[in-house]
Parts: sequence; C-alpha cells; structure tokens
Amino acid sequence: MSFKERLGKELLFFDGAMGTMLQERGLTSGELPEVWNAERAEVILDIHRQYLKAGCDIIKANTFGANPFKMKGTGYTCEELTGKGIEIAKRAIAQSGRKAYAALDIGSLGRLLEPLGDLSFEEAYEAFLPMCVAGEQAGADLCLIETMNDTYEIKAAVLAAKEHTNLPIVVTMVFDESGKLLTGADLEAAVAMLEGLKVDALGLNCGFGPDVMQGFLPKLREATSLPIVVNPNAGLPVVVDGKTCFHVGPQEFAGVMKKIAREGISVMGGCCGTTPAHLRALVDACRDLAPMELRDKNRSVVSSYTHAVEFDSPKIIGERINPTGKSRLKQALRDNDLEYIYKEALAQQDKGAHILDVNVGLPEINEVEMMRAAITGLQGITDLPLQIDTSDPEAMEVAMRLYNGKPLLNSVNGKQESMDAVFPLAAKYGGMVVCLTLDEHGIPDTAQGRIKIAEKIIAEAAKYGIAKKDLLIDTLAMTISTGQDNAKITLDALHEVRHVLGVHTTLGVSNISFGLPQRERVNTAFFTMALSQGLSAGIINPNSEAMMAAYHSYCALSGSDSQCQSYIAKYSKQEAQAKAQSSDSGEIRLFDAVVRGLAESANQAAKKELKTRKPLEVIDEELIPALDQVGQGFENKTVFLPQLLMSADAAKAGFDAIKEHLQANGDASESKGVIVIATVKGDIHDIGKNIVKVLLENYGFQVIDLGKDVDPELVVETAKKHQVKLVGLSALMTTTVANMEVTIKLLKEELPDCKVMVGGAVLTQTYADLIGADFYSKDAMGSIRYANELFQV
Amino acid sequence: MHNSRKVRLNMRADRKETLRYLGYRGQEIDPVTAQIIEETAAELEQGSSPKSIYREYDCQVSGNTVNIGGLEIHSHNLAVNLRGCVRAVLLAATIGRAADFMIRKYTVSNMAKMSVVQAAGAACIESYVDEVQNEIQRNAKERGLYLRPRFSPGYGDFALEYQKDIFRMLECEKRIGITLTEGNLMMPSKSVTAVIGLTYKEQESCHMKSCSLCAKTDCEFRQEGEQS
Repeated sequence: MSFKERLGKELLFFDGAMGTMLQERGLTSGELPEVWNAERAEVILDIHRQYLKAGCDIIKANTFGANPFKMKGTGYTCEELTGKGIEIAKRAIAQSGRKAYAALDIGSLGRLLEPLGDLSFEEAYEAFLPMCVAGEQAGADLCLIETMNDTYEIKAAVLAAKEHTNLPIVVTMVFDESGKLLTGADLEAAVAMLEGLKVDALGLNCGFGPDVMQGFLPKLREATSLPIVVNPNAGLPVVVDGKTCFHVGPQEFAGVMKKIAREGISVMGGCCGTTPAHLRALVDACRDLAPMELRDKNRSVVSSYTHAVEFDSPKIIGERINPTGKSRLKQALRDNDLEYIYKEALAQQDKGAHILDVNVGLPEINEVEMMRAAITGLQGITDLPLQIDTSDPEAMEVAMRLYNGKPLLNSVNGKQESMDAVFPLAAKYGGMVVCLTLDEHGIPDTAQGRIKIAEKIIAEAAKYGIAKKDLLIDTLAMTISTGQDNAKITLDALHEVRHVLGVHTTLGVSNISFGLPQRERVNTAFFTMALSQGLSAGIINPNSEAMMAAYHSYCALSGSDSQCQSYIAKYSKQEAQAKAQSSDSGEIRLFDAVVRGLAESANQAAKKELKTRKPLEVIDEELIPALDQVGQGFENKTVFLPQLLMSADAAKAGFDAIKEHLQANGDASESKGVIVIATVKGDIHDIGKNIVKVLLENYGFQVIDLGKDVDPELVVETAKKHQVKLVGLSALMTTTVANMEVTIKLLKEELPDCKVMVGGAVLTQTYADLIGADFYSKDAMGSIRYANELFQV
Repeated sequence: MHNSRKVRLNMRADRKETLRYLGYRGQEIDPVTAQIIEETAAELEQGSSPKSIYREYDCQVSGNTVNIGGLEIHSHNLAVNLRGCVRAVLLAATIGRAADFMIRKYTVSNMAKMSVVQAAGAACIESYVDEVQNEIQRNAKERGLYLRPRFSPGYGDFALEYQKDIFRMLECEKRIGITLTEGNLMMPSKSVTAVIGLTYKEQESCHMKSCSLCAKTDCEFRQEGEQS
C-alpha cells in the first residue's frame, strides 16, 4: 500500500533527527549535511538503518537544505545531492526488508521572501523546483516540507511540488510560544491556506519538545480536517560549550507522545535531538494505537498571511478598490499610482472591513500586470484577506498564485464558460468563490430561477472537489427603481440559499438603490433586511458611517455581538469624540492646518479655499509658506521630525484637494521638475529616501521613486528617459556607499549635466565629495533647498 | 550551562530613547504629536515578538586575527576589542517583523507614525539586547568572567561578510527567524548580531563605546563622553 493509502487510517511513524546524529559522527557546524550524501554516504545509510530498525515507517532523506542557494559553492548541484539523498534512503529501506517510505525532505531556503526580504515568490518557487523534480525521479514516496515559518515560502514549495510531481505533500511548521509563525501567521491562517492548496497532511515540527506542542493540538484539531503530523524536538535546545543539546530522554519523550497520539494524530516522529532510541520508545509505546477518525470541520474560511476570517457571523467586504464609477481611482490606475490604492485599503481597514475587494481592471491598462503589482503591494501594507475581483482568468490566476493565504474569488457565474475558467483555479490554488446567480439566459427575474442557477453552480463545483463550504452565493441585488419586486426576489432567493441549500451568501448591497435619491437610506434598510435573511458577507462601502452602523446594530440585535461589546466599544468612544470635536470646531485656516500637521483639516480647508481662490494662489500663498515655516523650524531645531512629517502629510492632503479640483475642471497640475530618487543597490534602508520623496512632492516636484536595492543601470536609464536634471541617492551602510559611487560614476559618464544629491546615515560631506556627489544633504530639508536652487524656484 | 534562546512576549520602547532617535532636542511637543508618539510606540510594543539566541565559545586573539569557536575573523578593531579574552559570546536578537510591516504601512498613510516606528523600533531592540547582555553578564560573573563591550559586524573593519558565519553558528534563521539579504543585511531590520568578549581581568573590561570607532563625528546620535 502506498503512503497515501495508509495515511490517516493507521498511525504512521516518521524517523527522528538527522542533524543531531550527524554531529555525533563528526559533522562540524560549518559543514552542510547534504554534502555527506556524496562523501560519506555510508554514515547516512547507517542512520537510516537504525531508524528503520527502531520501527519507523517514513525515512526523511538527507535533503533538507539541498536547495540551489545552499548548494552554491559546495561543488555539488541541488539535483545531485537531492537524488543521492533519496537513493540512500531507498537503499536503506530495501535492505531493511520493511514496508517503509522515503520522504523528499525540503527545508527553508534561508532567504526571506518579499515584501520583507529580497527574494521574490517566483524565485523561491524556482529554487524549490529542481529539488522536487530530482526527488521524484530518484524515487521518493512523498514530499515533506518541514521546519517552515513563513506561509509564503511554504506556498512556493507546495506549488513547485504540485506542478512538477505527483508526490503526496506533507507540511510541518514551527510555531512559537504564542502559537504563531515568525511571520505572525496563526494556526488557522496556515491551515486555511494549506487546505486550500490541498496538501495531504499538515502539522508541527521542531521548536519545542512534545509537552509544549501538546498545547497547540486542540486548536489545530479544531481548525483542520486533514491528518495531523507531529515531529517535536527532544525538548528545548540548551547550549553547552557552544553545542546544542536536548535533554528529554527516550522514555519521557515516548510518554508524552503517547498522550498526544490519543488526541487525534495520524503521523508522529521526532526532530532535533531525537535519536533511534527515542523513536524505538515512541513506536513501542504507540504501535497499537489507532489514529482518530478524520472529520470534516466544514468551516468556511478565507485567510490573509496573518489570520483567517470565518463566515460564522456576518462579514464586511470593502468595495472601494473597484474603478466602476470612481474617476479618481481610474486616474490612479492609469497613472500607475498604487499608493492611492493602498490608501483606500488602509482607510477601509480602519473603518472595520474584514476583507477587501481588489478590482483593478480598466480597458486601457494591462490588467494582469496591474493585478500582480496591486496584490503584491497590498499584502505588504494590510493584513486583511483579499477578494480577487476580475473577469480575466489570467489576471485571476496571477493574483491567486501570488496571494499569501486563501483568497476570496469574485466571481464565477452559471455560464458554463465561466465555471470552466474559474473552478479549475479554485481547485488548484484554493479559495472561496463568489457565485453570481446568472447564466447564459441572463438574470432570472424570480427567486426560484436564481436558486436553480445556484444549484447548478454547486453541482458543477462539486465535480472539481470544491465543497459547498467554499462557495458564497450572490443572489444579485437589482435596483428597485426598475422593478418593485426586485428586493423581494433577491431576499427570497438569499434566504433559501442560506437556509435550505445551506450555502453562505453575499450581495453587492448598494446596487439596490441605483437611480434613486438619497441612496444610503435605502441601502442601510436593505442591508439590515438582507442580514436578517441570512446574508453572510455584505460587499459595501465601509467608509459609509450609516452602513457600518447598520451592520454593528444588526450584530448587536441578532445576538452575534456578545453582550453588545463591539457595539459599545465602537459607539461609546464615538460619542466622546463627537463631543470633543464640537467643542473644538473653530475653523482652521489652511496655513495653520499644515503648520499644526492636521491632515483632515488641511484637506477641508483647501477645499474651502478653492471656492474663492485660484489653485495656484492657494499653493503659493498658503501651502508653500506653511511648509517653509515648518521646514525652517526643523532646520533651527524648534520642530522635530514627527512634526515635520505631520505637516508634510497635512500639506499632501491639501494638495490632494487641489489635484481633485484641477482634475474636475479638466486641468492638469504643473510640476516644477522631474527628480529621480533611489536607495542604491544592496541597500534596503529606504526610510530617509521616502521622507525626501514626500517633501519634494509637497514642493511641487514630480518624483520618480525607483525604490530600494536599485541597480545603477536602472537609475541611469530612468534619468535618461525622463531627461532629469537631478537624481537623489540614499545609502545607509558603509558597504553600500560603494554602490552609490558606482551609480554616480555611471550617471556622470552617461549624463554629464545631471546633478546628484546624496544622503544617508554614514555619509559626510567629505565622503560625498570623495564619491563625486554634487550635493550632500545632511537632512531631508537640505534636499529641498538644493532642488529649489537647482530648478530656481 | 545556560539557556540559549530567549523569548519575551512584551516589549517596551523607552520613550526617552525613542525621542532621542527622533532627533528630539527639547522642542515643545504639542498634544497631537505626543499622542501620535504614544499610540504608535504602543502599537509597536503590542506587535513585537522579541527573540534572541547566544552561544559561548573559546576565543583566541593573535595579531589582527580572532578565532571564536573555530571561526577565524580578520579585523584589527575586533582584535583590539577582544584582546585578553578567553571566551566570547556570539549573540543575535530581533524584535520581529512588526516594525517593518508598520513602517511600510505608515509610509503610505502616516509619515509621522512611520518615523516613530523607526525610532521606537531602534529603542526596543537596543534595550532588548541590553537585557540579554545583562543575563550574559550575570552568568559570566558567576564564573569570575567580565564582559567587553559588544561589537557588531559592520563596526570599524569588522566586515559584514562575517554575518554569514555568525548566522550559521547560531542557526539564526531557524531559531529566531532572522535572515540575511544578498548584501548581508538583516531582515527583520530591527535585529542585532554581536560579539561579546569575556575576560578574567576586571580592569580589562574597558567601557569603550563603539561610537569611538565610527568616522562620522558629526553624527546626531553619537554617544557623548567616550574615549576615541
């Protein structure tokens, strides 16, 4: 019988530590264990043999770190050492005469993925790929992805294994004391993503001994429907004389593991510090136990990289990132202005959205590339789960691939073509799917018609193994201005779908009032009605106070807000705020709002000014003088950094009002000049550069920000393309100032007239002169002065 | 001998230090600014998950070469720092990823808060490393050993390339979740690695501050009063 056939039906045993055993045989801390597959294969073979003799069913081949990054400079390739590792494990199994399995063991790459690190998702995928292929070719029986602490890296590894092998996949992760991965992901988030990716088993390894791990199991069992694997250390690592030791002995280890086994574990074994003696004791103690029967937990969840959102109570999906009817967002998409999208995301999160819809489709832009950029960027600034909203299957797949979690997909409908395109993606990458009750014949004008389509979609999804729990049926809100029964049809269908078909529901709520005056009044009433009929998730504008109030009131009324705690927490605070505001309602001038750093007031004041004054006047007589005053204060040290930045943000809010005004009147805002800025190659410290950017923009410059870790060639190419007069470079480390010098040299060769200003912690005037910079900016305001001089503003 | 890995679930950003990193020089702090600083520092404290690891090795110094547990380091400045030491501790610590996440978030939505995260994060990691160092000191004292000031790759001529070796010896990535970029910079960014020498002679436990080795004499953050 294969591993997969036995998994979950009988208790299976992984082996114990490889590293610990190798260290005993003389592996030094500088050596890579995988090299021994080639150079000391007999030692590896003997260790496997001992574990097989102890009764283990699954042997972890010595391939943990055989990835291309770690193999660099060893004289061996990833494929070679992976293949050899599997061969040795297979040989040991054959020699033992036992029915056992060889696991291709895949560990972390040792590099951090974007957005925190410098490794892209696809680079990580490419690094895992050769291991997976070589492992299967050499005859591995399963793929074990272990000691993982980042769900994104896990996803890259799982996809590499899924797309290039037929191996069963087991994933085990390292959680810390608080039950989180190092990325901040909790158990539920990791489970949601892995179940979506359809791995075969999941669990915990390393980090702790069995006693601590036991504490995580109830939660894990509650979250997952999959077989659970537990491979603990022999206790916590303790260092004696520079060597790591583990103090839990075989009997103690086996004793706790026996208790764990009774809690519904399917596979158990050991990690650091465990030896054949530990595993023998474990197998002896647990051999006769049966694994607990697997039960489908039937949870409807989506997840972000930190947490899962379950549809056990109504949820809010923020609808603001969707260009339909939003000219400012359309403009942002055309300008590739992702920052605007990020701001919309954060604003909705602040207002209490649980999930954010992301639709970046416009006919005139490349939706696939925009989706790629938006999903990547949004995951760097918000930890809310995302709803991938597109009608382009290619954009949908790109987004699903890059998504670090289990997304919500918007949407599929009853058309065969739509289901043929979306369901394979949902089956492969995982995700919950919004299902619109319309098909080739349009939108049925009866509740029964919509329910029929819902049933058709549910049946088709089942063919792909997509269960009802992963669907959100949208019974389509149609405006009551064109049909008196429209709300009733929608709600009747919704009720039946939720309570008879037993599937979760969603609605784009505000469609109900299209064409009517005072739409919010109708929307809130309809929202409340829909919630009481069983709406699981409302796609709404969270910035609407009234809609959020309807939501919170409904939760309090329906009993899903325990003791009205959320309601009270939200609205008692608001009362106090409202009072404070009314006592402080004196009008603030734009100039003062900027000086005092009040962004919202600055925006309001600018709008008011624009009613009577020309935009340029407002800029030259209010905004710029205010910025100058604060900037001077900063240089004279009467104002310090956070105050300067508050003013910068306030000025920005003022400028936003002016931009909107100009756009509404069909005028373009004028820039004083174009400046390219970048943090140089090798450096990832870009805070100073970002501050300079905001200030330059405040002063009316158009800034092309190339980001951090930027190749010298890209700086030159961009400067050339836009024929800029000024480039700003930042570097924090002594080591990266060298790259600053390279960049300046290249710039001076290709664009002798272009000036270069530099800044950063280790720089000094002398140093700046030495590397050929035209200007050394001691602080953020220095760069403003220089730019103003250069462009003679 | 002693526990090598330490985890604390709460963290405090010293407000005075936070202000110092913000370049504060006694300016008037209006209530709005004060609130932003307080709120943001508290949010960071809430999200931080400090972790550290250290291991002790034999240490020999000859000329400009230092040998710590088999790792050979060529650095004049480090050799001076470790002269006379018989043992050395390699140490790595981080406050986790929250600071980096918050910096990205607030770069978009609130630059002032971004600057506070940066400053409070620096204050957090410094005080956390001090705390770990105190533990090392207590431990050393029991054995009649005294600590040299901690010294990090990147100080003076102690090349950043040695980060790779320190990471390998401490298993930083696996045990506490710090990784290196291609340019040997640490991620999460609010992380520290250091060498701390141990000596039997109290008078040799000099209190030289690492600032004295830095060429940037006009630095706003230069610690005052150290010998150069």
